[in-house]
Amino acid sequence: MNAHVPNWKRWADDPEYRRRMETRAAIVADIRVFFAARGFLEAETPTVVAHPGMEPHLDPFRTTLLRHDGASFEACLITSPEYAMKKLLAAGLPRIFEITRCYRNGEPWDGSHNPEFTMIEWYRANADYRALMKDTEELAAELAVKTAGGTRIRYRGKEIDLAPPWPRMTVAEAMERYSGIDLGRGIEDPERFRSDVEAKGCPTAPGDDFDDVFFRIFLRDVEPKLGVGRPLILREYPRSMAALARLKPGDERYAERFEAYCGGMELCNAFSELNDGPEQRRRLEEEAALRRKLGRPDHGIDEQFVEAVGKMPPSAGIALGVDRLVMLLTDAPTIRDVLFFPASDLFTK
Amino acid sequence: MADTTDLSRDVFIMFKDGICAVVDFQHVNPGKGSAFVRTRLKNVQTGKVLEHTFKAGEAIDLVELDRSNMQYLYKDADNYYFMDNNSFEQHAISADMIGEKGGFLKEGQEAAVLMHDATPLSIDLPKKLTFKVTEAMPAVKGDTSSGRVLKEVTIETGMKVQAPIFIEEGEMIVINTENGEYVERASK
Repeated sequence: MNAHVPNWKRWADDPEYRRRMETRAAIVADIRVFFAARGFLEAETPTVVAHPGMEPHLDPFRTTLLRHDGASFEACLITSPEYAMKKLLAAGLPRIFEITRCYRNGEPWDGSHNPEFTMIEWYRANADYRALMKDTEELAAELAVKTAGGTRIRYRGKEIDLAPPWPRMTVAEAMERYSGIDLGRGIEDPERFRSDVEAKGCPTAPGDDFDDVFFRIFLRDVEPKLGVGRPLILREYPRSMAALARLKPGDERYAERFEAYCGGMELCNAFSELNDGPEQRRRLEEEAALRRKLGRPDHGIDEQFVEAVGKMPPSAGIALGVDRLVMLLTDAPTIRDVLFFPASDLFTK
Repeated sequence: MADTTDLSRDVFIMFKDGICAVVDFQHVNPGKGSAFVRTRLKNVQTGKVLEHTFKAGEAIDLVELDRSNMQYLYKDADNYYFMDNNSFEQHAISADMIGEKGGFLKEGQEAAVLMHDATPLSIDLPKKLTFKVTEAMPAVKGDTSSGRVLKEVTIETGMKVQAPIFIEEGEMIVINTENGEYVERASK
């Protein structure tokens, strides 16, 4: 349709848009039903916080919180509710979920990004990331049955079967299969890794760290092949890419992290959570240093979060983009098509 | 120095010692890591398409292009031919490089031809152009209730575009040449 019509005016004469937005509301209601049936408590945690998370490459929205008496506090909008959810795990809540708005500044406004978006996070105490793989595939399949009448859906002209269990592959297997590179050896010897990647006709730049080199080849050769026809659970990421995850028992080159790919989109990101306080502090300090090096404010370490991580039972947690899930289940070409007020309608130049 | 924020489908860059057209680009945030820009680049000499992942903010080597106003003459199997409005010289541009823009070219159409070292690489068309609809199936009753508010029509160049169901054969319509979308009925 015409890109110049703001979304809120599309409702009247764009039945396809109307159907999508109605389905979106139904999906969000069905997500609540899914988790309630599994004994999860819905937690409501703040979106305006003092410590927004330390991921070196995210830009939180910053603001100043003013109290009536003139006291002022530096504040940020959350990029994810992770810190609050882990404090609740430490408090003793065994199964929690939250559907919340998250905010990330400085990102592109493209087909799959909006600066303000809806995320569902859920956490299970006394479980590892394998339990979350099962939750993810069951959730997607149940929603597909309710909205599309079955697990076989069509997304952008291609059929995808969401029926569980979804195929699983480790990151190392995917790198080996699609780019012919030995990732395990690469993690042990980053210089060797760089030359292996270069040898595949994939140039790197002098300032690239291990993760940069990894993503240059991964985004070119591997990711486009993932989640075609069937969703894929990609698991066991290099340890440098999982500051909040537990390392894999028996092979500490990798962390227990997975992502699910479906229809060319990355749907979620999940971990067996790190629950070692001192190790958490060390990783946060590393990330704070990297943030400063990249010219970003470090927001200070949330001491209560570090305390909570140390007290948490072994747990697993996951963040899943609700807008992208809705796009998938309603065959929407862009994230714009599943929002009433995309940023590009609100902020114009 | 230009960087990845300057990437667009209209620019040419030097990459691996060749001039490449940016065919497609996409920002990617893999989560816990830097942002990247995934690109598809087409080498203008060899026609070969390569893929490369740039880090967001990384320097790119933009190729400076000169613009000459020319008139579209005709095409054959391999090339589109243009005439320079000042020198009356003729230039050929391969159909491969013109790509989908060829669907907007009708005889006599003015276009800015983008040149590098006297070699024409691409063309730049006015953002909106008017075309006659040469073929349009009448709207099928029930189309609106199924959610289809657009239908396919053929314009005088032979290209097919999506237009509202009320558009009929013989009408003049305005098309956005950047995305191929219908804009409005041409005013008479």
